[in-house]
Amino acid sequence: MSQPPPQGAIAEFTEVDGLIAAVRAARAAGWSRLDAHAPHPVPEAAEALGARAAPVAWIAVAAGIFGAATAYGTEWYLSVHDYPLNVGGRPMDAWPVFLPAAYIVGVLWAAAAALLGMLRLNRLPRLHHPVFQARGFHRASQDRYFLHLSAEDPLFEPEAALEFLRGLAPLRVSVVRAA
Amino acid sequence: MSLSTAPVVAATLRPGGWGFRIALLLALAGVAVLAGAVSTLLVLGIGVWGNNIPYVWGFDLIAYAWWIGIANAASLFAAVLVLRRHGLRTAVNRFAEAVALAAVLAAALYPILHLGRPWLFGWTIPYPATTRLWPQFGSPLVWDFWGIMAHVVVTSLFWFIGLIPDLATLRDRAATEGRWAMARAYGLFALGWRGSVVHWHRHQAAYRLVAALVLPLLLSAQTVVALEFATTLVPAWHQARLPVHVVVTGLPSGIGVVLAMAAVLRQALSLERFVDAEDMDLLARLLACAALASGAAYAHELVTGLYLEDPETRAALAARAFGTGAPAYWGAVLLAVLLPQLLWRQGLRSRAWVVIPVGLLAAAGVWLDRWSLVVGGLLRERLPAHAVAYAPSPAEWALLGGSAALFAAALLLFGRYIPVVAIFEIRHEETLTEAAEEER
Repeated sequence: MSQPPPQGAIAEFTEVDGLIAAVRAARAAGWSRLDAHAPHPVPEAAEALGARAAPVAWIAVAAGIFGAATAYGTEWYLSVHDYPLNVGGRPMDAWPVFLPAAYIVGVLWAAAAALLGMLRLNRLPRLHHPVFQARGFHRASQDRYFLHLSAEDPLFEPEAALEFLRGLAPLRVSVVRAA
Repeated sequence: MSLSTAPVVAATLRPGGWGFRIALLLALAGVAVLAGAVSTLLVLGIGVWGNNIPYVWGFDLIAYAWWIGIANAASLFAAVLVLRRHGLRTAVNRFAEAVALAAVLAAALYPILHLGRPWLFGWTIPYPATTRLWPQFGSPLVWDFWGIMAHVVVTSLFWFIGLIPDLATLRDRAATEGRWAMARAYGLFALGWRGSVVHWHRHQAAYRLVAALVLPLLLSAQTVVALEFATTLVPAWHQARLPVHVVVTGLPSGIGVVLAMAAVLRQALSLERFVDAEDMDLLARLLACAALASGAAYAHELVTGLYLEDPETRAALAARAFGTGAPAYWGAVLLAVLLPQLLWRQGLRSRAWVVIPVGLLAAAGVWLDRWSLVVGGLLRERLPAHAVAYAPSPAEWALLGGSAALFAAALLLFGRYIPVVAIFEIRHEETLTEAAEEER
């Protein structure tokens, strides 16, 4: 039986500094389809990979404004057009009392959008990912750091990728294959 | 697995001990009492409660405002720690969030139950019903519907977002031990988290963003409750200062419960290394500070109420503070303001047997304050046909005790199946400490 095609090559590090240096070296060497995995946030590595967190905030802000506007619009439409109710000559469009619900619903939308936007940008949830096949990868959520070079990268050539990773002084390197 | 966070994971994955089982059994018995109290209410109607004109809001609103206060202070505390990136967050954040979530669940019961016909609860949602009626959007009761719903959802989101990476740790840890059913269960909620640093980057942004969103929501949640009182014409309630008063006097309850929980957990789960003496010290001093702020609110209430307000308001406050309502009023001051001042003494705040009762009694003091507001506020009756004084019925006591048991059961289950301290935050903190030591 022939082996399945490689999905990428992976290097395991014991220290976070090793991972950060490795990510920087890989970027400098022109790798573009790569990812680093760590058991805690590593802002330096994320920065080297060009990750930006601002889109999460923009999604949340936009959703919050949309949610608040929708809530206010609903209150206004129902109270002014659909079911106008004259209570002691008070204005139909009583904007001050419409604000609390609009504000709360805006916050609700923004918070939900922060989670959903973060998941969408991260392409999560997903049931499986080839990187989980890597040897010892379960420790990426515990105490080890991994640099993964994807086979989709134009530079990818299994032997050359492993050679490059070995040059970064990792604990070990291996080829990741689909199960 | 590095040694450092092993106890946290072990506490989650090991079988529960006898102490846990007995505590859970007791809590579940209490939940059964709650189920009984709720069924009685649904079958027989709201007449099983002791409230009647003029005491239309008895135990029910007291407990609601009280639980919301606990939830508020606990999430305020958690959100501020995340936003300030305070070192204390690694230790107490997760269970402050859990306390908030459990309290908000207990609180959410009451507004539904007090509707009289709770099964028509759906009518508070603006949907095109066959009745062709819409909610009155100008009413604080309708704001309350949105406020509670948003509070439940946003508090859960805050808790869940912080939890995703830790669920992935538990998934991988359970898989290593060959416990596949458990690995699948955790894996389902870990949403396929693989620790990509790019994902982490966005995750941290989302976590902090939701923490920031919790803050304005807390103000609205507690103030909307207070506005329900303030919009009535009852002299003791009809005050612009009430929202601020309710927010500030609510603080000792949530912080007191978080402090007591921290003291219990670090002993029960052997987490002394993560929730260390310094953390406990900070928490205890925070409770003392919150109690001081609460004391300022009472002083302001007494000074403005007795010297600056109109005669009706003065008389109403006098009845609350010096008339038949005095035990509840001064009981609240004693338990929620004066008792926590003991914690300024270093020798006292380092002892678990001091901080646990002080924390819980501060929460009890806030409950007395809510009693003083809800029941004491109506002491001066303006109708000639004076009703008998309000006395809670056994069904109301069962509901209060039952909701406390629900809170306890929820926290016990959280503590058992979910890491009580944030694993990834501890790891992050340790890497930073190591880096700082190397530079020195």
